[in-house]
Amino acid sequence: MTGSNNNIYMPFKAVIEEAIDMGCNVKFFKVIPIPPHPPLSKGGRGGFIDYIPGQFFMVSQWGAGEAPISVTSTRGLQRHIEFAIKKVGAVTTVLHKLKKSDTIWLRGPYGNGFNADAAKKRDVVFIAGGIGIVPLRSLINFIQMHKKQYGKIFLLYGAKNPSEILFKEDLKAWNKKGIEITLTVDVKDESWKGNTGVVTGHLDRVKTDFKNACSYICGPDIMIEKTMKELTSRGMPDRQIITTLEARMKCGIGKCGQCYHGIEYICTNGPVYTYEEIKKRRVYGP
Amino acid sequence: MKKDLILNKNYLSYWLRQLRKEMQLIGPMRGFKGDFVFKSIGQIHEISLDCPASAPLPKEFVFPHVEEMFEKVFSEQEIKDLQNNDKRIIFGIRPCDMSAINLIDRFYSSKFESSYDLAHPNRKSEDSYYMARRRNTVFISIGCNNPDPTCFCNSVGTGPFLESGFDVQLTDLGDRYFVQTGSKAGKTITNSYRYLFEEAQRQDYDDQYEIMLSALTKFEKRINLEETRQKILAGKVRDSFWEWVSTRCFECGGCVYECPVCTCFNIVERTETDKSPRPPLRAMAFTKGGQGGIKGKRIRIWDTCFFKGFTRMAGGNIPAEKKVMRTKRWWFHKLLYYPEQFKRFGCVGCGRCTITCPGRIDIATISQKIKVEIK
Ligand SMILES: Cc1cc2nc3c(=O)[nH]c(=O)nc-3n(C[C@H](O)[C@H](O)[C@H](O)COP(=O)(O)OP(=O)(O)OC[C@H]3O[C@@H](n4cnc5c(N)ncnc54)[C@H](O)[C@@H]3O)c2cc1C
Ligand code: SF4
Ligand code: SF4
Ligand code: SF4
Repeated sequence: MTGSNNNIYMPFKAVIEEAIDMGCNVKFFKVIPIPPHPPLSKGGRGGFIDYIPGQFFMVSQWGAGEAPISVTSTRGLQRHIEFAIKKVGAVTTVLHKLKKSDTIWLRGPYGNGFNADAAKKRDVVFIAGGIGIVPLRSLINFIQMHKKQYGKIFLLYGAKNPSEILFKEDLKAWNKKGIEITLTVDVKDESWKGNTGVVTGHLDRVKTDFKNACSYICGPDIMIEKTMKELTSRGMPDRQIITTLEARMKCGIGKCGQCYHGIEYICTNGPVYTYEEIKKRRVYGP
Repeated sequence: MKKDLILNKNYLSYWLRQLRKEMQLIGPMRGFKGDFVFKSIGQIHEISLDCPASAPLPKEFVFPHVEEMFEKVFSEQEIKDLQNNDKRIIFGIRPCDMSAINLIDRFYSSKFESSYDLAHPNRKSEDSYYMARRRNTVFISIGCNNPDPTCFCNSVGTGPFLESGFDVQLTDLGDRYFVQTGSKAGKTITNSYRYLFEEAQRQDYDDQYEIMLSALTKFEKRINLEETRQKILAGKVRDSFWEWVSTRCFECGGCVYECPVCTCFNIVERTETDKSPRPPLRAMAFTKGGQGGIKGKRIRIWDTCFFKGFTRMAGGNIPAEKKVMRTKRWWFHKLLYYPEQFKRFGCVGCGRCTITCPGRIDIATISQKIKVEIK
């Protein structure tokens, strides 16, 4: 029955191939969906689920509940679907107890995802704050895979302290491949020789023509807001400032109303928005 | 014109009794304490035809307060879908509530309104639980000859009689009902008992028209939601006004729970153990194999945008923290966003929030205030 009927709330099973503690309360999961699972749309070849960077799944464990979690893998690069989940509350605590070969339940992918075309032929500036690196990792790898179609790639990544910097392996690999990376922490320790302070303070290190570049931002609300304003003041057009928003959501498909902001259902119309769209929908207020 | 029917009042209970053999019959009846409720009817005579228009809320049968979604025995691999496919007939629903259900149909059956879901441009997103119930429900609605003092459906075009969007609509002509069928399901339940009905004659049409006109004169409220909407859009209704409205709100959620249009819900999980048949709300310490219980249910439950927890995210961040934001959300959803999405207000003028709201900041009262006080 699983996944074979028309119930859009019906999750499907996946097996955990790898579960790694990344430190600072974040756990990394590699999972493989067990067929049959919907939807295998046009691109879903070979029994794999089709998704794009910026989309998310409702990840669940029976008895605990569901939580929206972004994909951090990139289809075409990784065979598995990968998640990085931070322990913050009821559901995520239970998810953290899962180990290799356990079953995990998924529903999705949902959301619009990042429009990678917006950055074509342009320099790309990724700006991540904390756990915000998770959805961006998927897109960074995607753009890296198709780098001929893009200009220079920059990553500006800020974390609370050095131990909270995630995906250190990936950072090394990206660096080798020519991505210009700037790391910064709020609070340094003895080991840290690098930058400190908020990400917006380090935009000068990004040597690009902001008017023509395209930027993808993900992080806490305040960081997103500040960064968008900063980029605007450097001349980046609203259409080229792209971010992904967070909201409470229970269904992921525009029915439960919890993520409703203005006329937008963040789960289906979003979670990815350009600054232009964000300004437009704020016309209505709450 | 010839297709409408007449049902002698003496035949009503026979008709309903026959229908009840085919499916569950729901209708308005008096509860223990004298209030009215929509309930499964055991004895036909229990149906209260004198029930006031806006008293009970039949939405419960297509979108229940608590809907069980899935059940899983933790030691087993598969899950059980608890989708409800019972066949039901709901008798005595009022035109405003019928209109509300038509509006919910559009919302719950709507596709992803995604600006660009690049991977799945045409994915369906019909709410399975609602649609399953909806497809199995036939409505017999009754037009309102005597609207309540709180009703204003005529101002929003959802009553007191419907022109379309019903299965069967009855109009009380005194000794007989004028019967209109508006859907295939409606035709089936009248055609199967065609011998109970007569063809409507000229006189019946005239009487029905008279009744309709007379009902229209009985409305005490004239509420112009469009005018309110225009004033909001023009920025005339200032935040200080909404502040004032919100200070009167008790955050009781009554206006949402009573509203036939509201559709928001929360999804929670319950686990059951051998010992406690009454499940505790969400087992926190549950892992694989069911340490938190032997069986779990995923249920959904009505939620209310007036509650602070409605938008609460991990880490305790609440986007709509201030009460005024939540007040505005309710108003803007009903008066701005619904019209934008569905070309209809998110209010059918049933007047229930007028009866319910302890702060007297219901849609009718505040609209009237905006009309009078804000130029
Ligand atoms: C589109 C999207 C993508 C996300 N991607 C990731 C990711 O890749 N990695 C990651 O660690 N976290 C991600 N989150 C946040 C994650 O969903 C929340 O941390 C999680 O739902 C918290 O659930 P909880 O039960 O552990 O917390 P609690 O605080 O116990 O949650 C209580 C209830 O509120 C709901 N809730 C709480 N916070 C959120 C929230 N932020 N969003 C939605 N519902 C919430 C939960 O569903 C839960 O039922 C994402 C959120 C969204 C909206
Ligand atoms: S807003 Fe009030 S009057 Fe309008 S449909 Fe809802 S409960 Fe009825
Ligand atoms: S957001 Fe509020 S007003 Fe709108 S449907 Fe949900 S509960 Fe009703
Ligand atoms: S019924 Fe009135 S007091 Fe209660 S939540 Fe609604 S507006 Fe507030």
